[in-house]
Amino acid sequence: MRYGDFTPFDIVLLLQGLGVSLALFVSTALIGLVIGTAWAVIRFYRVPVLMQIVTFVAELLKNSPVLVQLFLVFFGLPAFFKINVTPTEAAVITLSGNSAAFIYVIAVSAIESVGRDQIEAARVFGLTRWQTLRWVIAPQAAAFAIGPLTGLLVNQLQVTSLISVIGVMDLTKVGNILNLRTLKPFLVWTAVGALYYLTAKLVAYAGGRFEKRLRAHTAWRGL
Amino acid sequence: MISVSGLRKSFGAATVLDGVDLEIRQGEVVSVLGSSGSGKSTLIRCINGLEKIDAGKITVDGFDVSKPRELSEARKRSGTVFQLFNLYPHMTAVQNIALAPVEVLKVPRKQAETEARELLQSVGLTDRADAYPSQLSGGQRQRVGICRALAMKPSYLLLDEVTSALDPEMTSEVLSILAKLAKGGTTMVFVTHEIEFARSISSRIAFLDKGTLIADLPTEEFFSDKGMALPRVAQFLSKMRKD
Ligand SMILES: Nc1ncnc2c1ncn2[C@@H]1O[C@H](COP(=O)(O)OP(=O)(O)O)[C@@H](O)[C@H]1O
Ligand SMILES: [Mg+2]
Repeated sequence: MRYGDFTPFDIVLLLQGLGVSLALFVSTALIGLVIGTAWAVIRFYRVPVLMQIVTFVAELLKNSPVLVQLFLVFFGLPAFFKINVTPTEAAVITLSGNSAAFIYVIAVSAIESVGRDQIEAARVFGLTRWQTLRWVIAPQAAAFAIGPLTGLLVNQLQVTSLISVIGVMDLTKVGNILNLRTLKPFLVWTAVGALYYLTAKLVAYAGGRFEKRLRAHTAWRGL
Repeated sequence: MISVSGLRKSFGAATVLDGVDLEIRQGEVVSVLGSSGSGKSTLIRCINGLEKIDAGKITVDGFDVSKPRELSEARKRSGTVFQLFNLYPHMTAVQNIALAPVEVLKVPRKQAETEARELLQSVGLTDRADAYPSQLSGGQRQRVGICRALAMKPSYLLLDEVTSALDPEMTSEVLSILAKLAKGGTTMVFVTHEIEFARSISSRIAFLDKGTLIADLPTEEFFSDKGMALPRVAQFLSKMRKD
């Protein structure tokens, strides 16, 4: 192997990078989904104190750059609390929190999109608040949320590329390494970009399919 | 028995119900008439606990709807049918009907769905049981709405202008079901603009005028001199008949 040339092994390297990016994307999206939805439920129940905390944290996360949050977690936490944070841990914590904040916003507006008439129809037959949320609000809110959620996830996939700066071996980091070694930036970044593009398209496609299913009968509202 | 006494309800500065007293005993069909804005819907919404009352007392079989603990018992005893149906759009007709029996009364799902199908059959919707609301006509939706209320085996049906969103043909298909229920002894509080129909099925007529119950009479008395002696009633009836 001569220094500077592409080797067949580079394909494996790229795919490994893609794997790391995907794993981070999927895990942080799922964690974000659980946390963001839980926050929305706290708000639905108007839990005192907790609700204010959630609103405050979500506001902070939404209105500061992800890169700054990442640095705060990776450099700030160890310095302040004297705890060790690996690059992967920092990436998972930051991206999960960030996803949670935006998913929270989507979930809240999705819950609010369900008409009063629906909630009244459930309550009047004696369903509890939880049963109303579970059986009447959630399915309709999900159908409403899936579109914006897909958009968010496509964006979150791109955001994962930021974590390469703290040394996580994701797709962008692999691109960086290949670029430095081969000095063929056009080729390298085209390949990397294409992989992100294809993955994003896949996420969008899956979201679209899911949306169609969820919306099959909810397009009609009220009268 | 549904008992309403001294009921007052305001929205902001506007007093919508101003000291209403009304009793509905088992087996009665009481029609509530009154011009638009007189407080009919609000009265129904106070009875089923969708509005908080400001003063007075409402009990359903003795359960006070203002007390959160008793409200759920009160709600098990009355079934509401809405003007705009309020069906759950993501559920089939059967699922719409079976939801509350399964969740609230803890009826096994299989049994609840069988009963839902029987109810649908009784209103002529056997073949629409697995359709979604979006696939049903207005009249069919309201028939599902009635089944949904009946599925809870309520002692009382509360109906708020259940045909006013329907065209005449659909109206008659829904009214014929209500007539059948009335004949079968179902207790109903029936808010309507269908004067002639109200007359044919009601045992009593209550007339609301600007939040006050100015008449509460047996049906035939209401439509005779006794009702006509009240200027507001006479005015209302002549206007409704002209339309
Ligand atoms: N949620 C509400 N907020 C404010 N005003 C209301 C509300 N609901 C009803 N009202 C007012 O109360 C009055 C009676 O309304 P309603 O009970 O719907 O009358 P009806 O059913 O007899 O037409 C109307 O003037 C209406 O504008
Ligand atoms: Mg009304």
